[in-house]
Amino acid sequence: MSTALNQPHQTTAAASLRGIAKSYKHFRLNNIDLEIEPGTVNGLIGPNGAGKSTIMRIMMGLVTPDQGTVSVLGQPISSREASAKQDIGFFSDDMRLYKSESLAFHMQFVRSLYPNWDEDYAQQLLARFGLIAQQKIKGLSHGQRVKALLLLILARRPRLLILDEPTNGLDPVAKQEVLSELMQIVTDETRTILYSSHNTQDVEQICDTITFIDRGRMIASSNRDEFLDGWRRFKLQAPQSWQAPAIEGLRPESTFGNLRVMTLDRYQAEVEGRLQSSGATLESSEAMTLEEIFVAAVLRGREEKQQ
Amino acid sequence: MNTQAIQILFLKDLFLSRWPLFGYLVGGLLSVVVACLPGDSAGFIGFILMITMTIAAGIHLIAVLLLAESVDMTRTFVMSLPVSLLDYSIAKISVVLVAFLIPWLGMLASLTVLNFVVPGAKPGVLAFLAPMFIFMLAGFCLQLVTAIVTESVGWTIVVVVLGNVLLNLFLKSLWEHPVISALHKSEVLLWPPVVLQIMAVEAIVILVALGLAFLFQIRRRDLI
Repeated sequence: MSTALNQPHQTTAAASLRGIAKSYKHFRLNNIDLEIEPGTVNGLIGPNGAGKSTIMRIMMGLVTPDQGTVSVLGQPISSREASAKQDIGFFSDDMRLYKSESLAFHMQFVRSLYPNWDEDYAQQLLARFGLIAQQKIKGLSHGQRVKALLLLILARRPRLLILDEPTNGLDPVAKQEVLSELMQIVTDETRTILYSSHNTQDVEQICDTITFIDRGRMIASSNRDEFLDGWRRFKLQAPQSWQAPAIEGLRPESTFGNLRVMTLDRYQAEVEGRLQSSGATLESSEAMTLEEIFVAAVLRGREEKQQ
Repeated sequence: MNTQAIQILFLKDLFLSRWPLFGYLVGGLLSVVVACLPGDSAGFIGFILMITMTIAAGIHLIAVLLLAESVDMTRTFVMSLPVSLLDYSIAKISVVLVAFLIPWLGMLASLTVLNFVVPGAKPGVLAFLAPMFIFMLAGFCLQLVTAIVTESVGWTIVVVVLGNVLLNLFLKSLWEHPVISALHKSEVLLWPPVVLQIMAVEAIVILVALGLAFLFQIRRRDLI
């Protein structure tokens, strides 16, 4: 264990992870550095098993890292600390409520631990989500269980929301209801959200900063618009002997005969001209969706790791 | 340490286990009543029922209050609240122990009272029953530490089975012990040194098991 683990660092960030590593039998989280600014909505995108949940569990003190330091809302966090959790709302896809008890029981239980519990807001959420407080948890559908958990989290008015795949398995209507509620929270600029998903559309809808993670490593992290503006896909007709110009961040994606598909992660306006002057015919220069960027970034990351 | 959080967690778990707790308390008290009815058969049936109730209560309460949190994934929810591992551990071990002690004490106390008030009952038999009950409490504490360390239903059942085998051997040797067997029909309750020594050893096992349970729980690095 790193000695740094016992030395919390001072930071103004809503959450800060430095040099975090955690090993399991078949998985290793490698050297994660993540800084989350207050009042921002941050997306953590990665395939299943990438390490998103592990990062979030470490931030909640549910899992102890082997190395590195974690501070959340200015306080060091570990399983031995509870005070920071007073201002954090954590949702996890595998989190369950007591199935034999009602939502009202859970509301009362959570209320007793949070002096900031907002009963009016809880009642509003009950109505908005179409939940019945007296209904037992075992009688709720998956979507209703997710909404019940979100109600229990949101009514505490947490300063930091850590949401691990909250829309997983939801039908389109329930998903939109959940995202709409989160977007309302986003309008409050004092609150910070970390939102993980493997669904890029959800993240694109609400997040302003995005981090890609794959196989326990951070692949890329940037502002959403910088991702969308910085990535491009080019389709070129070029002879077999063609050599791509030395443009930083330009990588071949696929080749079909003379058709070359290339992606670029640091787009600038003069790139098209350089490609044309290299002896290739530029057929198209397309902006990429966040999903396409994610896939390209993950594949690049894997290639770089193998080299 | 947050005593308010511990209290809330404790009461929550006690509430969650209210129905099995009520069932084992009523069942235990009924078995004591049966044990004190006239006739050897009633006494034997009541005795078997008491042991069965105590063992079943132990397994059931550990399953409901401890193992279920891991299997049903409710621990993630609890530990996402402003609760430290220390708060959680104190509340959890206390409530599992108290929940078991409710039917256990109910049976032992009613048995003691009935042996003194029912005409024809022999209070001397309490010198046999008290170490038996404390043995079952010690067995429960060993199951508790196993459940905490392994979080496994399988290993906990292994300890339950081993505990039952040992209980039978213990009861046989206790029943046949010349000093203790002489007290079964005694009108007077006596505590010979051998009984006190047995209970002292049982108390040490209980304290060590509870200490280990707490130690293992608070040293846990990953909670889910």
